[in-house]
Amino acid sequence: MTGTELLEQRAVISGVGQSAIGRQVDRSGFQLTLDAILAAVADAGLTVDDIDGLAMFPGGGKANLPGYANGDLYEVQDALRVTTTWRQGQVEGMSLPFYGAAQAVATGQARHAVVWRTVKEGSAARHAGGRPAYGSIHPEAEGPLAWLLPVGMLSPVTQVAPFATRYMHEYGLTREQLAWIPVTQRAHAALNPDAVYRTPLTVDDYVAARMISWPLCLYDCDVPVDGATAVVVSAAETAADLRAPVRIEAMAGVIDGRPSWDQWEDMGRVGHATGAALWARTDLRPADVDAAQLYDGFSIEAVWWLEAMGFCGTGEAGGFVEGGKRIALDGELPLNTWGGQLSGGRLHAGFGHTAEAVRQLRGEAGDRQVPGAEVVAITNVGGIEAGAALLTRWSR
Amino acid sequence: MRGDSDATTGIPPAVTGESAAFWEAARHGRLVVDGCAACGADTFPPRGMCRACRSREVAPVEVTGRGVVYSYTVNHQRWLPDLEVPYAVVLVEFPDHPGVRVAGRLRGCAPDDVAIGTEVEAGFEPGPGGFAIPSFTAGRGDA
Repeated sequence: MTGTELLEQRAVISGVGQSAIGRQVDRSGFQLTLDAILAAVADAGLTVDDIDGLAMFPGGGKANLPGYANGDLYEVQDALRVTTTWRQGQVEGMSLPFYGAAQAVATGQARHAVVWRTVKEGSAARHAGGRPAYGSIHPEAEGPLAWLLPVGMLSPVTQVAPFATRYMHEYGLTREQLAWIPVTQRAHAALNPDAVYRTPLTVDDYVAARMISWPLCLYDCDVPVDGATAVVVSAAETAADLRAPVRIEAMAGVIDGRPSWDQWEDMGRVGHATGAALWARTDLRPADVDAAQLYDGFSIEAVWWLEAMGFCGTGEAGGFVEGGKRIALDGELPLNTWGGQLSGGRLHAGFGHTAEAVRQLRGEAGDRQVPGAEVVAITNVGGIEAGAALLTRWSR
Repeated sequence: MRGDSDATTGIPPAVTGESAAFWEAARHGRLVVDGCAACGADTFPPRGMCRACRSREVAPVEVTGRGVVYSYTVNHQRWLPDLEVPYAVVLVEFPDHPGVRVAGRLRGCAPDDVAIGTEVEAGFEPGPGGFAIPSFTAGRGDA
């Protein structure tokens, strides 16, 4: 793409911040939101008065799970007492936490935008009175869920599980191979003081774990938590004012199939169009990636992205992850170095993955630092939503 | 029958202008999709528009004939109080109706006996909120 300046290259990620993260944090979703925003703004080297753009996930998007949506945009703007020239509710479809904000700062609509995602799903699950089902906060199932919830696909895991069943059927992936994703990520989480599960996990533990929705067991599912993540996106021209910006090399989000969990045509291949669109925007190649923060709401989603991003061939992810060596911190493709959502916590929508990518590229990832990380990949969801990006180290 | 769970515990569908014909036909044990008067293609879920040719001239047509399990899951988790587990949910495609895939419960075999490629017959059973929900019957042998 020489000679073409991509829109996303006129934007940088300038700050990331997180609240306390835990299975239960005794603090309101709104206070967690403010904690994360203030931390992210300070991390960027900015002050709140510099912020002129606000966005959140899920914005006006519908909350289907208890504890899913927190940190109302109007209330945040009111509390921060800022003037905005750009705002956006990031409903599903925005692909990546920083996608819309990067567009805004690249086109001069704002200079420094903060985007946040706050979950209270840990507390909500505990207080749900035995009703943690997807959509259970509404009396009726609407939209695509109208075809899923009534027949007993009551949770995201029951909706994603048929993808895993089909993938295993087509490519021979075994549960013992799949286990290496949560097992390896748990080892990474052990080095992350903010991860919610840090005790060692073995393949034997995985095989013995209770089944949730075949073929996905407890350890294939991410962990509902309380916590907020905020990301500051700034115009690249402000880089001199920033403490430690990170470049957005490329970003893409393509939905090339039917966008519902039951109707996606080829359940063995998910995210491939997004991966192809991403690589078309950069001269970098999969072998240049030093660490991968691949969406892992469920382990099978990381399988999709390993293949869709070209880190291995279609149908090869089982062999790629088996034994864990390639995806370990000292392997050829360190995977979800913070523990991912499986052990770090379901911070959701790519926010936890983005925070980790930025820390790795700055060399601020502590005991889990991948030495010399210069290129980090991020992906989000897959299937009904999809986003992928490459972030690279800033060089002045 | 062996392995069958009660399916009435759950969350009922919101009925829309597009889906009303489906749920009404379900009440009478008939599986209908949007059939296109212009090109003959089937669309499901109903959109009031043909997904093949984008014609708006669509009307309910009944899906008959054998179905084949495209994929499935066996749910073991009690997501709601009184939810009977385990149960299998199957995604069924119809060789005679390309492009139609319907999610439903599976009856007539133990949940763990389901497999991709299993041939099933379409049907319905009592679901949440008094709705009849898609429920497929296994038993014609694995493909």
